[in-house]
Amino acid sequence: MSTPNAALELREVVKHYAGGGAETVRAVDGISLTVSPGEFVAMYGPSGSGKTTLLLLAAALIAPEAGRVLFDGRDVSHLSEREGARYRLRDVGFVFQSFHLMPNTSALDNATIKLTAEGLRLSEARRRARPWLERLGLGARAEHTPERLSMGERQRVAIARALVNEPRLLLADEPTGNLDSRRSHETLELLRDICHESAIPGLLVTHDPDARELMDCAYTLRDGHLAGSLQTGDPATVLS
Amino acid sequence: MRNPFNPRICGVRVSMLFHLYERRLRSHLAQELLAGSGIAVAVALVFGVLVANTSLTSSAGALIQQVIGSARVQLTARSAAGFDQRLASTVERLPGVSASAAVLRENVSVAGPHGVKAVQMLGVTPGIVNLGSLDTYNFGTGGFRFSGGLILPALVASAIGAKPGSRVTVLAAGRAHRVRIGAVLSDSLFGALTSSPVAIALLGVAQRLAGLPGRVTQVLVQPRPGADRALTQDLRRIAGGRLDVAPTGDELRLLDQAIEPNSQSTELFSAISVMVGFLLALNAMLLTMPERRRFVADLRMQGYDRRQVLLLLSFQALALGVVASLIGVALGDALSSVFFHRVPTYLSAAFPIGAKQIVHPKTVLAAFGCGVIATVLASLTPAFDLREGRAVDAVFRESGGMGEIISGRATRTLGLAGLASIALVTVLVLITPDLTIVGGVALALTTLLLIPAMFAGIARALPWMGDHIRSSALVVAVSELRATSMRAVALAGIVGLAVYGSIAIGGARGDLIRGIDRATTQYFGTADIWVGTGHDIFNVNQFASGRMVGAIARAPGVASVRSYQGGLLDVGTRRLWIRARPARDPEMVEASQLLHGDLARATQMLRQSGWAAVSSGFASERHLHLGDTFSLPTPSGAATFRTAAIMTNSGWPPGTITINNRDYSRYWQTADPSALEVSLRPGVNIAAGRRAVTAALGSRQGLSVRTSGERDRQSEESARQGLETLAEISTLLLIAAGLAVASALSAAVWQRRARLASLKIQGYDSSQLWRALLLESAITVGVGCVIGGVVGVYGHALAGRWLTLATGFPAPFSIAPAQVALTLTLITVVALAVIAIPGFAASRVPARAGFQD
Repeated sequence: MSTPNAALELREVVKHYAGGGAETVRAVDGISLTVSPGEFVAMYGPSGSGKTTLLLLAAALIAPEAGRVLFDGRDVSHLSEREGARYRLRDVGFVFQSFHLMPNTSALDNATIKLTAEGLRLSEARRRARPWLERLGLGARAEHTPERLSMGERQRVAIARALVNEPRLLLADEPTGNLDSRRSHETLELLRDICHESAIPGLLVTHDPDARELMDCAYTLRDGHLAGSLQTGDPATVLS
Repeated sequence: MRNPFNPRICGVRVSMLFHLYERRLRSHLAQELLAGSGIAVAVALVFGVLVANTSLTSSAGALIQQVIGSARVQLTARSAAGFDQRLASTVERLPGVSASAAVLRENVSVAGPHGVKAVQMLGVTPGIVNLGSLDTYNFGTGGFRFSGGLILPALVASAIGAKPGSRVTVLAAGRAHRVRIGAVLSDSLFGALTSSPVAIALLGVAQRLAGLPGRVTQVLVQPRPGADRALTQDLRRIAGGRLDVAPTGDELRLLDQAIEPNSQSTELFSAISVMVGFLLALNAMLLTMPERRRFVADLRMQGYDRRQVLLLLSFQALALGVVASLIGVALGDALSSVFFHRVPTYLSAAFPIGAKQIVHPKTVLAAFGCGVIATVLASLTPAFDLREGRAVDAVFRESGGMGEIISGRATRTLGLAGLASIALVTVLVLITPDLTIVGGVALALTTLLLIPAMFAGIARALPWMGDHIRSSALVVAVSELRATSMRAVALAGIVGLAVYGSIAIGGARGDLIRGIDRATTQYFGTADIWVGTGHDIFNVNQFASGRMVGAIARAPGVASVRSYQGGLLDVGTRRLWIRARPARDPEMVEASQLLHGDLARATQMLRQSGWAAVSSGFASERHLHLGDTFSLPTPSGAATFRTAAIMTNSGWPPGTITINNRDYSRYWQTADPSALEVSLRPGVNIAAGRRAVTAALGSRQGLSVRTSGERDRQSEESARQGLETLAEISTLLLIAAGLAVASALSAAVWQRRARLASLKIQGYDSSQLWRALLLESAITVGVGCVIGGVVGVYGHALAGRWLTLATGFPAPFSIAPAQVALTLTLITVVALAVIAIPGFAASRVPARAGFQD
């Protein structure tokens, strides 16, 4: 059973990539950031500013060159592949922009994919996934395949998949990139509510200016640095 | 402004078509190469099989044509002893004759420093060139003015190590002769004869070697214009019911009949290869489908209309199909020259068949067309995106691939069609066994029809499996299969077809070999030792025995010596194998080959005069039942026999007639044996007996002394060699299928890296993903194996029934479970072994790839 009230902390994290020729891309360049339990934080920034790298670091998918990534006080920056997989499976819920759903596989079975990776029997995994689909308004569409679902419904299936194992950290990469504004709003509201209810930290990478009003906190990332943070205010200001 | 060299089609300049394809090649070279290689392999397979199928008759046809030249009618002997040469002079003088030539054909062996080769010796007169026969650029009448020599084609000469001017040993009619090689003929000089198992000599030389002075076996005649009918009547009058008068092309018809079962089996393989080829091409194109669809959407968004997009798609498919198919034809040509060019020994013993690989333009066209059509059809799947009402950029927003999923309704329909096909084939084949080959093709299609249903069954069983097997790999594997069901079906279809063909044809081949083995064991089991003319597998080459029988009978340990006689006899479209057994033989017919009749009674009848055991094909052609009479054309005229038993064909497709040697001597007017059967006294060691018989023969080198076991093995080897092409095609089909599936799976796995990366982000580790990929591959291959195996065993049963009923072959049906298991294991292991490495690499995809959609 997972224990809530864990925070995500990034301390002086550095991640560089080799660019073309001798150039080095400073994707993340000494960032420190804390996302507290129950806090839903947005990360804004232009393309190439290092937003996705930040998510990859938080999910222990890549290791930083310097600094530490802590979750619940545990350093996750240099986990082995197996430990990293276990961390993502048990602690992290990840929502993608492009959903990455299995075609021709029901919404319910798509939602169970993390549970079966944990070794649950399929029937048990389905039993545990169904309430999440119902909560996300997909109870009647649980047996439908992604091809028969709208874009908004597909994104909700992807969210259900991220949440079924009751993660302690929610990471989202442009989750509203393929949705209209109404669906975007609903989706972000849902993610925020889950963070609040479950008291888990949530980190969102987005370009969506309307997201700001639903966030507890928003940061701007530019050239690998946190260029500014706002607790409240006009998203246009944040983006500028 | 109009440019005649760069016209517009549907508003698109031709140069733009090339330019866009060049761009595609630059950006997607790897996918294009993969698709191209899949198509090329498929075309190579189809081409190789088609060439193998046509080369036998074509090379024989070319050879026969080269010998007969412009002759249209022939007078032929009914036995190897031939007829009086003076008849040829009589024919030459007939008013309707424009040109004629006498020929003596005799089966002999030629021994050189490097080996021995069985050939058909053609004794000809220089006048044969008047018929345009043996027509060459500079081999006119003068070419035959060599003295006492033998002309060998390059193939035979190199096989035995003979050179012009050197001496070789000719083993003919039970005697050995040293003969000088007059010439070795190369391809440029002698065409089809160069690769044929023949040897040419002047008629007089050939007569001396064959021990047939003044005899010929054939007179080739070119009638004067308009005199055909009258001349034929004249020839019939001369033949007097003791010789055959027939069109010169008859021998090819006889050959066609002899190789029909083999041809039909190869045709079935050809059909299967075409289907496999189409699936390979389809699959190769499916792999490039996602980005082709994006290309279509891009074009539409840039303002291209439907017709233009269709034109671009078709042009690119044509370009790929044409280039890949040409490469495939070249590959297939190499394949057929390496694997399928051997002439079955049993056929070359009865027909002058060349080993030349003959490629007809229509064969090239068929294989090339298959490749291009398959490519174009498969490449049209992105055209689904051009449907009315479909958003131009729909591809960018959808999950799963259009055309990659087979609907439940389609799966049910296909499954039902598959079951209906099995039922239909069963009824069809029960009523008309001759239609078994058509049924075989229908069963191959059935394999494809049933595969989607089996995949659906596995997907449906997933909840059950998921409750009993805790395996994340299983869930991912089955989900992935559901996601790409079209591709999975295509891959499993390739495996299924290959396994079906291999098991059905391979099983029938196994039955046939077992049946023939049993027949030959009993056939040669009537004596301990056989004395014959070396390479004569049918015991049809006669020799003068003289005092030989007495000498052998007096040899220590010998109990008895019996004269066996036999020959080949052309009756209608059949070149029958006449077997004349001594009445004192312990068995007159092979017990295992008896289809109708009582063995003891038949044996008793055959020991008397006027009875014959006939093979079922001949019997059904003549509507013969036990006790019925029939007549055979013999050298002494028509001979009447009564049917004592109906047998299998003992492995000789045109059929056999078994009589006793007294009747043979009477009707064929010869006492010369074609083999001597020697029985040893009880307790005499077979090796010692053999030495004693050899010693009794003295210095006579033209005969070979072999134990029944050795003769048995020689015949069995010949049977296996005759069916080798089928085994080769079967093996190649399996290898091609295994490799094609493995490479296609590898490419498919590689394309799926983004989805695998997303699973990694969800918490799957590399080993889980690798297991899932291997499991998915194993399920795909397994589905093909199971469906192909089950339908294949059924096809095997039908093929066995066809062999027995329609062709008269001995083919007792029996499943070879070890062979089936080995086939299935081999293809699975090969596919999995090949997929393991790219699967491993794909499972190590960096999670970052999940963000690069």
